[in-house]
Amino acid sequence: MTNREIICANPACRVSETGMCLEGLPLDDCSSYGNEPAVEDEADEAEHDVEEIASSTITLSSGRALSAEIAAKFLLNWDSRVIAIIGPRETGKTSLVAGIYDLFQSGRIGEINFARSSTLTAFEIACHDARTASRRGVPHSERTRRGEVLFYHLDVYGGVANDGVTLLLADRSGEEYSEVADDIANANGLVELHRADVITILVDGARLLDAGRRHSIRMDITMILQGLSEADVLRVDQRIALVLTKLDMVETSENSARAISGFDEIHQHLVTKFAGKVQGFDIFKVAASPQEARMARGTGLKTLLESWLKKQPCVAVEVTNERKPTRAFARIRPLNEEQAHE
Amino acid sequence: MNEKSVVVIGLPGSGKTTYLAALWHLVTANDIATQLKLSQLGAGSRKHLNEIASRWQNAVQQDRTYLQGLKLVRMHLNDEAGHDFVVSFPDVPGEEYRKMWEDREIDIAVQETLTSAGVLFCIHADTINQPNWIVDEAAMLNMLGLPVVASKAIDWHPQFAPTQVQVVDILQMLRSPPLDIGPRRLAIILSVWDKASGEGLTPDAYLAQKMPLLNQYLSANADGWKVQVFGVSAQGGDYDDVDPGTERSEDARRLRELDKASTRIDVVNEKSHTHDLTAPLAWLME
Repeated sequence: MTNREIICANPACRVSETGMCLEGLPLDDCSSYGNEPAVEDEADEAEHDVEEIASSTITLSSGRALSAEIAAKFLLNWDSRVIAIIGPRETGKTSLVAGIYDLFQSGRIGEINFARSSTLTAFEIACHDARTASRRGVPHSERTRRGEVLFYHLDVYGGVANDGVTLLLADRSGEEYSEVADDIANANGLVELHRADVITILVDGARLLDAGRRHSIRMDITMILQGLSEADVLRVDQRIALVLTKLDMVETSENSARAISGFDEIHQHLVTKFAGKVQGFDIFKVAASPQEARMARGTGLKTLLESWLKKQPCVAVEVTNERKPTRAFARIRPLNEEQAHE
Repeated sequence: MNEKSVVVIGLPGSGKTTYLAALWHLVTANDIATQLKLSQLGAGSRKHLNEIASRWQNAVQQDRTYLQGLKLVRMHLNDEAGHDFVVSFPDVPGEEYRKMWEDREIDIAVQETLTSAGVLFCIHADTINQPNWIVDEAAMLNMLGLPVVASKAIDWHPQFAPTQVQVVDILQMLRSPPLDIGPRRLAIILSVWDKASGEGLTPDAYLAQKMPLLNQYLSANADGWKVQVFGVSAQGGDYDDVDPGTERSEDARRLRELDKASTRIDVVNEKSHTHDLTAPLAWLME
C-alpha cells in the first residue's frame, strides 16, 4: 500500500477525515483525489476590496432524530443515559419527549440546563402540534410510525446532571413493543432496550378513565415485560419508570380516584411479578401537554427527567465465562452474521 | 500586514448590512474616538461600502434588491497599539443563513467565510420569534372570555422554529464539520437596541430573558465559545423607506439633524455605553 498523502482538490471534500470521496467514487477513480486544492491568485484578490463570490452548495447535518449507529457514537463522549420509552399508540410518548424539550425553551428545568442537541429539527417537529403555529385548537401529537428506532439527543448539565450528561431518548412505535407479547423473538431487534439505563413505561391516563379499556392495561404491560424478561432483554441493573400520562384529564375526571387506584395496583403487581428481574420500579404522574390550562404544561416532567439522569448504582451480577460487549450497540450484528453464530 | 477575518452572521433583516454601513461611515468620518481606525483605503473598489454607507448617512433604509449575492468586504484598520491589519467581512444575504437552518445546506463560498476566527452574530432584538403554546393561548382567551377557534391544521415548516432555536443550531453547525475550526470568539449583537432598551435590561439580561434556550447553550459552553453580548443601535431610529410614496420617518429627520452622524450609533454592553461600533470588532481581534 502506498503512503499517499490524503488530500483532495475539492475543498468541500473531507476525505482526510472520513476516508470517503465526496462524490461517492472509489478514491482511485476520483480525479480530484490526491491533488492540491486550487489556490486563487492572492495578488489578484487584493486588488478588490469587494469581491463577488461564485456559488455551489454543500449539505449540513439534518438535525433529525439519530439512527442507532450514529447514536452509539454519542455514548462514547460524555456520561450518557439511554432511555427507552414504551407506550402504546396515543399514550403520550411524543408529547413526553417534546414536553421536556419545550420546558427548556422557557428556562432550565429545576437545576438542569440545556447544553446542546444534535436533533433540534426533530424536537421542533415533535413540538409543532402543541404550538400555536399549527393552528390547532387543542394540543395534539403525531404518532410514531413503525420502522427502525430513532433517538432524540440532549446534552444537559447542572443539578443531578452535574458537569454534563448525554441523554438519548429512544423513539419507536408502541406496536413493536406490544409484539413482544405475541412472540418473544420480536424482542431481538429492540436494541435500545438492551442498552437502556431506564425503561420507561407509559400508562395512558385517558385509558385508565375508560371503564372498559382500563382492564387490559395491566395485562398488556405485564405481557411485554414478561416477554422481555424471557428474551433476556431485562437487566438487573435497569430501573423501570412507570409513568401515568395525561394527569390533567385524570385529576379533573369524576373517575379520578378509580384511575389513580388502578395505576397503583398496576405498580404493585409489577413490583411483585418482576422482583429480582430489574433493579426496581419508580412511579411518576405527568401532564406533558395538557389539553386545557387547568394544569401547568410539563407537570411532573422535572421529577421524571431527574430520575432519568441519576446515575444508577452498580448491581452485583453473576459472572459467566461468556464475554459480551458492555454496550448494546456493540452487540448488534447483521442478521446473517447473527445466524452464523447460532 | 496581518489579515484577520470576521464573519457577520444573521438571519434575514437582522441588521448585518446596517452594521457594515455604519462601521464604514464611522472609520472613514473619524469624528469620534474609536478603538479601531482606518489605516489606509488600500487598492481596489469600495463601491459596495460607499453605497451602503451613503444610504446610512442619508438615513434611508438599505435597498434589499441591491443586497443580492455574496460580497467580500475588506477594511484596513489599526488598533490603539498601532497594529495594522486587514479585516475581511463577507456581506452575505440573510437568506444564506436561513438556508442553513431550513434547507440544511450552505453555499460553498459561504462555507469558507464561516471558518473565520471571529463571529459577529446579529439578532434583531425587537423581532425575536418566541415559542407559543396552544394551551397557554387558550388560557389567555378564556380569561378574556373569548372562544378558542381552531382552523385547518398546518404542517410543520422550519420557519416556525423560535429564533433562539435557529441561532443555537447555526452556532452548533459552526462547531461541527465542515465548519468547525475549534473554539472561537463570538460577539452577539442585539441589533435595533433602541427598540429594546426601554425594558431597562442589560444586553446579557435581555438575551437571558427573551432567549432562555440560547442563554443556557452559551452558559453551558459545550461548544467552547468565548462570548460577549452587545446591544447595538447602528441607525439610532427608523430610516426612510426605500419604496416611493411611503411616509417619511420622523426619526430619520431627527437623525439627519445631528452634526456628527456617528453619534446616531449606540453600543451597550455590561461595562460601557459608547458610540464606538468598532468595540465588538476590537474585542473579537484580541
